[in-house]
Amino acid sequence: MISFKSILLRCYVVLVFAVVFAPIIASFVFSFNSDRFPTVPLGSFTTHWYQQVISDSEFWEAFRNSAITAICTAIVATIIGFSAAYTDYRYQFFGKSVYLALGLLPPTIPLVIFGLAMLAWLSRLGMSGQSYSVFLAHVVMCTPFAMAIIRLRLSQMDESLEAAAWNLGASHWSALRHVVLPFVRPAIISALCLTAAVSFDEFAVAWFVSGLNKTVPVVVLEILQGQVDPRINAIGTFVFLTSMTLVVISQVFLLTRTTKS
Amino acid sequence: MLWRAPLLIWQILFFVVPLFFLVYLSFWVVKNYRMTPALDPVNWIKMLSRDYFWSAYGLTLTMATVAALLVSLLAFPAAYTLAFKVSARVRQLAVFVLIIPFFTSYLVRIYAWQTLLAENGVINAFFSLLNLGPFTMLNTPIGTMVGYIALTLPLVVILQTISLANIDRSLVEAAHNLGCGKLRTILTVIIPLAKNGIIIGMVFCFILSFGDFVSPYYLGGSKPPTLSILIIDTTKAGQQWPKAAVVAITMIVTLFIVAIAAVAAAYKRPGTR
Amino acid sequence: MPETQVEFENVSRHFGDFVAVDNIDFAIDRGEFIALMGPSGCGKTTTLRMLAGLDKPTSGIIRLSGTVMNDLGPQQRDTPMVWQSLALFPFLDVLGNVEFGLKMRGVAADERKKRALEWIERLGLGEFVKRQVTQLSGGQRQRVALARALVTEPEILLLDEPLSALDAHLVVRMQGELKRLQAELGITFFYVTHSQSEAFAMADRVIIMNEGRIAQIGAPREIYRTPANRFIAQFVGRNNIINGTVSSIAGNMATFTTPIGNFEAACPSVQPAERSEASFVVSGDLMKISKMRPDTKNQVECTLISEEFVGSFVTLFLESADATEFKVEVQQRELEQLELTPGGTFWLSWESGHAYVLPENA
Repeated sequence: MISFKSILLRCYVVLVFAVVFAPIIASFVFSFNSDRFPTVPLGSFTTHWYQQVISDSEFWEAFRNSAITAICTAIVATIIGFSAAYTDYRYQFFGKSVYLALGLLPPTIPLVIFGLAMLAWLSRLGMSGQSYSVFLAHVVMCTPFAMAIIRLRLSQMDESLEAAAWNLGASHWSALRHVVLPFVRPAIISALCLTAAVSFDEFAVAWFVSGLNKTVPVVVLEILQGQVDPRINAIGTFVFLTSMTLVVISQVFLLTRTTKS
Repeated sequence: MLWRAPLLIWQILFFVVPLFFLVYLSFWVVKNYRMTPALDPVNWIKMLSRDYFWSAYGLTLTMATVAALLVSLLAFPAAYTLAFKVSARVRQLAVFVLIIPFFTSYLVRIYAWQTLLAENGVINAFFSLLNLGPFTMLNTPIGTMVGYIALTLPLVVILQTISLANIDRSLVEAAHNLGCGKLRTILTVIIPLAKNGIIIGMVFCFILSFGDFVSPYYLGGSKPPTLSILIIDTTKAGQQWPKAAVVAITMIVTLFIVAIAAVAAAYKRPGTR
Repeated sequence: MPETQVEFENVSRHFGDFVAVDNIDFAIDRGEFIALMGPSGCGKTTTLRMLAGLDKPTSGIIRLSGTVMNDLGPQQRDTPMVWQSLALFPFLDVLGNVEFGLKMRGVAADERKKRALEWIERLGLGEFVKRQVTQLSGGQRQRVALARALVTEPEILLLDEPLSALDAHLVVRMQGELKRLQAELGITFFYVTHSQSEAFAMADRVIIMNEGRIAQIGAPREIYRTPANRFIAQFVGRNNIINGTVSSIAGNMATFTTPIGNFEAACPSVQPAERSEASFVVSGDLMKISKMRPDTKNQVECTLISEEFVGSFVTLFLESADATEFKVEVQQRELEQLELTPGGTFWLSWESGHAYVLPENA
């Protein structure tokens, strides 16, 4: 017997999910809708907006920038994240809490402020508006995620595992290569995908520092500033599929991690 | 040391130093559209004596506070249901599904809300079926608030669900067993036990809303401006970076105070008042 | 003359202010089965880790086959270890785990596979060669850990509470296997445990540690019957400790005066002074219990407090008039004649030769 109240509560949960997912679904539906100003009832089915995007060289340029930035960010952020997570796992030292704060704090700083700070600092160094500017900032923002994911995996590792490798004649480096890295491999793949997804989606800091090397989200932002333009929905659907692929891969590796071992 | 170095180098070079540089920048002077390094408090004096700065500050603070309270209230019944009324599998699935929005472009979602909230948009089309409206939601504080909710609701539901699910069930049952009514149990047992998660949810909601510029710009119509819009307008309008830096620093200081106060509230031992 | 293999010379290990190991000194012969036993936190694991090179002594010298080991890293010694958690590599199969040590030492691929397979066969794991270690049972994982440690054919094997994760019946079986393996290989086993039954069942000699120091070294029987001090008497077995004054000494037999009667106890090692306060110990399994007052020298009347059943043995807890506690181990079938009721009174007695004076009141 489920009470009336608990049915009501379940309906409320469904409503919350509806609100959260309404724009995602709407954007997907509108991307195939012929109306420039979509409303109900819908217009006719069209792939017009997709064709416009695909034939737009500015979009492809932005996509290339985004992809390169995301890949480089993912690799560097994961390497830094691993070294920081390993530091936290293995070593005790004076000022460790400050060190960890340094690693985990960036997501709490509003994007506008970090964007402005990065713009000012990189301009000072003459590094603003370069092809690598967004990458420099994105590594700062993505490292905490990589660090957290890898640290979580390391905490599941038997503390004796590394010592067992030394005990069997492995040097510190080969213990790292043959024991620690294989153990955290799922988390590393997961971190690579997740940081790539975060970088691929980030618009605010990218907008500040990208200059003429616009990324896809920056292009979206600039379209948004102009007129209503359903191309955004087409790009959005495309970006969504890219990000979700990365996130799903990342989750699959996170889940195998918990079931195995 | 070898392992510590990468994080230290990168975060100091591209996180700590830029933020400190921002502080330094706020004392520079702008003459003939050229910035010159200086240690002049002129930007601070100018900015802090302007009414439009303080009205933007008041507006941002109010909107973020309202968002933190409103989103926490909206999230609670859902989190409560997910924590107590469904199986662990459903709960895990729900949390996973709620993570998805973080990986969809926030801009695209806001654009979708623009079309949904428009005077001739989908939501008003539904209202007209009920012979209501059309309501003006776009370019009003309601629009901004919808954006804040879209941005933070999933996160707050997740944080609340996790902290509620971690409550020791026997305490809740003990309360029922001792004759405590359902609603009273929620108010006197469950909420105090999940206090930390609820407060952390509020803080995240506050921080995100306080710093967001997309919702107030594209859904709220950017007038009157919030602090983040002030930063963008000041930055993009020529060489007024030092003034933007002043706004940015007041924002960081505000967030810092709020975060410290919230952490103090969350970890205050019960019984000490 | 057996050859000395391991020597600890005044070895200490400090962690900040905490002294984990306090100036210990001992030697082990080649081919001995040594158990290092003590309560948790007594420093036994630190001692083992220092021998493996995973921890460095703060002071003192550790020698292995005559060579000073202090500055050698764990990689540079051949002191393989079986870990309490087993520490098997979860991402490798059985073969991968067993050949790990050979791979790290640069043994060629075919050679190491051949040697690893030999050990896998020897420990009865032949059918699991390609199995992931996460899919094995507790006993099988134990064997993988042993094969992994022994594959380099070391002269000493270190074992850190290796059986603590196993079921009780499996523990007894593995004890037998370990003992047999050690005899076959003829190498030294250095076995750390907090379990008395494990230590006494397998070891040639037992080292007992307490608060970072060595409390006693000796054969299991020696430690069991003649504990060196009060700590060991309490830690080992079901010992009863009785305090009193030494009234006279004749030969190596001391007579005690206590509030609950006069008793005799042997003093084989150190003789206490007459008129001094001293204690003696009687093992619980050497005490007799009867309903009637027995016709012997050492006897005391007690009240039954409670009983504890462990298999065919029963431990009875009793208390004398001055509240001295006694523990007596009795066979289940002996009980039937006793009509045990809590609160009932019984007589305990023992032979003078079964009581030992404690050398010191440490």
